[in-house]
Amino acid sequence: MRRRVLRVLRCALLAATLAGLVWPAPVLAATGATLASLGSPSSGDLVEHPAQWDGKVIDFQGEAVGEVMRRGDSAWLHLNDDAYSRKAADDIALAGYNAGQAVWAPSELAAQVKICGDYSHRGDLVHVVGIFHAACPEHGGDMDIHAVKLEVVLPGSPIARAVSGVRAAAAAALSLVAAGLWLLWRRRHRARGRAA
Amino acid sequence: MIIQPRRDDHLVIGKYTGKVIVGVGLLMAVPLALSLVLGEWSVALDFVISSAACFICGFGLQLLCRTERDLGWGHALVVAAGSWLIATLLGALPHSLSGHEGSYLDAVFDVMSGYTTTGLYLIQDLDHVSNGLNMWRHLLTYAGGQGIIVVALTFLFRGSPGAYRLYVGEGKDERLLPNVVQTARAIWIVSLGYLAVGGLVLAAMGWALGQTPLRAFLHGVWVFMGAWSTGGFAPQSYNTMWFHSLAYELVTVAIFVAGSFNFALHWAVWSGNRKELRRNLETVSFAVTLSLTVLVATVALSRLGIYPDAVNLFRKAFYQLASGHTTTGFSTIYSRAFVVQWGPLAMLATTVAMAIGASACSTAGGIKGMRVGVITAGFVADIRRMISPESALIRQRVHHLRDILVDSPLLRSALTVTVAYLTLYGLVAIVGAACGYDFLQAAFEGVSAASNTGLSCGVTAPAMPVVLKVVYTLAMWLGRLEFMSVLALAGYAYAMVRGR
Ligand SMILES: [Zn+2]
Repeated sequence: MRRRVLRVLRCALLAATLAGLVWPAPVLAATGATLASLGSPSSGDLVEHPAQWDGKVIDFQGEAVGEVMRRGDSAWLHLNDDAYSRKAADDIALAGYNAGQAVWAPSELAAQVKICGDYSHRGDLVHVVGIFHAACPEHGGDMDIHAVKLEVVLPGSPIARAVSGVRAAAAAALSLVAAGLWLLWRRRHRARGRAA
Repeated sequence: MIIQPRRDDHLVIGKYTGKVIVGVGLLMAVPLALSLVLGEWSVALDFVISSAACFICGFGLQLLCRTERDLGWGHALVVAAGSWLIATLLGALPHSLSGHEGSYLDAVFDVMSGYTTTGLYLIQDLDHVSNGLNMWRHLLTYAGGQGIIVVALTFLFRGSPGAYRLYVGEGKDERLLPNVVQTARAIWIVSLGYLAVGGLVLAAMGWALGQTPLRAFLHGVWVFMGAWSTGGFAPQSYNTMWFHSLAYELVTVAIFVAGSFNFALHWAVWSGNRKELRRNLETVSFAVTLSLTVLVATVALSRLGIYPDAVNLFRKAFYQLASGHTTTGFSTIYSRAFVVQWGPLAMLATTVAMAIGASACSTAGGIKGMRVGVITAGFVADIRRMISPESALIRQRVHHLRDILVDSPLLRSALTVTVAYLTLYGLVAIVGAACGYDFLQAAFEGVSAASNTGLSCGVTAPAMPVVLKVVYTLAMWLGRLEFMSVLALAGYAYAMVRGR
């Protein structure tokens, strides 16, 4: 009995998964007709009020982070519109979590993005106009923006990461102490090994 | 009467704690090497400072505490809990030095979250974190999943009864091989084998999905570590939504489900006992509760109509629920989407899945399928007894590697720990609510912390109250070590002060 219930559950799960794999995803055409932007919400607005912006054309601006992932004719990029995106490259003060949106853009537009934010870079500040999807049918229900316009507003730049002299000295001193203790420990260890 | 621990007890505890801390210092060699290779000089310095601090504490303790005594049960429990605590305090050094944490407490929170394979984080500006620190974050969670004691057992201990007691103190109890050090090594061989294969598969996929080879490789290794350890850390703030790929999602599901299985089950399957996979109480229990919670979430989401079609709805529901149930914490939706889009019923289903958790003796947290299965079997036996003639002898059995009779001691221990978890969940949720959060959100986040899951609905944030950061950190620690060790440590501290 129990085994039968399990088998049914398993089959249902498997069938649903397979259906998910082969189901043709509906293709969204970026309609040029409704290009007039209805506003420029922040990523916070979009996450908090997805229904309000769903399907609308919006303006969005943020720092490209990580990398541009090219997938054939289009590409994924991630634009952070958090406090860090508005900072100068040498300002590395903390200002909370990152926040941003995923953007799906034609490859030739995405190719304008040259520098993406990471440890050693402040990424390009990118402005897009596109359609917001609270749960994109083309992309597995992900929240995203399908860009039809894209421009780099401000090119990114390297972040200077200076080596601190104090830390270098601390590292050297601590390493010496650690090495000394290790030598002492090893001598004791060996002495005990011989005694045994 | 409480007996005050003697000098000898302090010595044996100090010595073994020292050994574990040396292990943590050795682990830092990995991120140190990566920062050197990638030319992240100041990050490399941070790791030199941190690992030197570990060696000073570790060797210092061993030099101060010279004894030939082996660990007793009480000692082992204290060492397990104590070394987790010290390993967390010292492991937080690189986080703190990186300048990405709001305070040392935040760094401690993140490291405890890593070791306990939870996945909640307070690190700020994750998208600009160095590769070295990202390696440390993920290595922590990978090593913590196997158990930092297991790490130390593998390299630094000789097999002794005390070593086995330490291993149990960390919440594991399966002895796969006669010698516990051999068992620890077996755990590592299995884990490293999967890391090599899984990391490369993910790296290849990342590359195919448009990542540069270096980033694809690093992300592959890190996402594998986050998945296999059921940790849930990922190198970007977008977590696994970063990849926007069904195939990548499916592979991560396969890895974290495998990681959430009992090591003894892996061992049985590896040694040719395939049937065990279908018969095992834990896999059966997991399959049933996962299906039920996915079903509830699916129904709830379809009534809300937030996903455009059934397939995408199922994909989102299944991924978050499987991630929650295995106590991983990977997510392909924004944290706040749980509240804003998913709504109360789907959040409740996710909370229940996280509370149950996955298998014992795995990297997963929560009450565990074994206990849920045993309690269910006990309940069924009681019903059978009720409807059977009085003379009938009812014997209910469950299958875990062999058939096990569900008797009173087994039921009692399953129930005791379950009640302890439920109490912890309740307390953490109440603290969250007392801090002013909506009760359902406080419960979701509290269960997520205490079951070492790491899904967030937005409560965890750098600006949250200090008391909640402390309570979540303690809950992660208690949940991961399944109470006993931490309570033994508390008892030890109490006896030191009040004992005679
Ligand atoms: Zn899309």
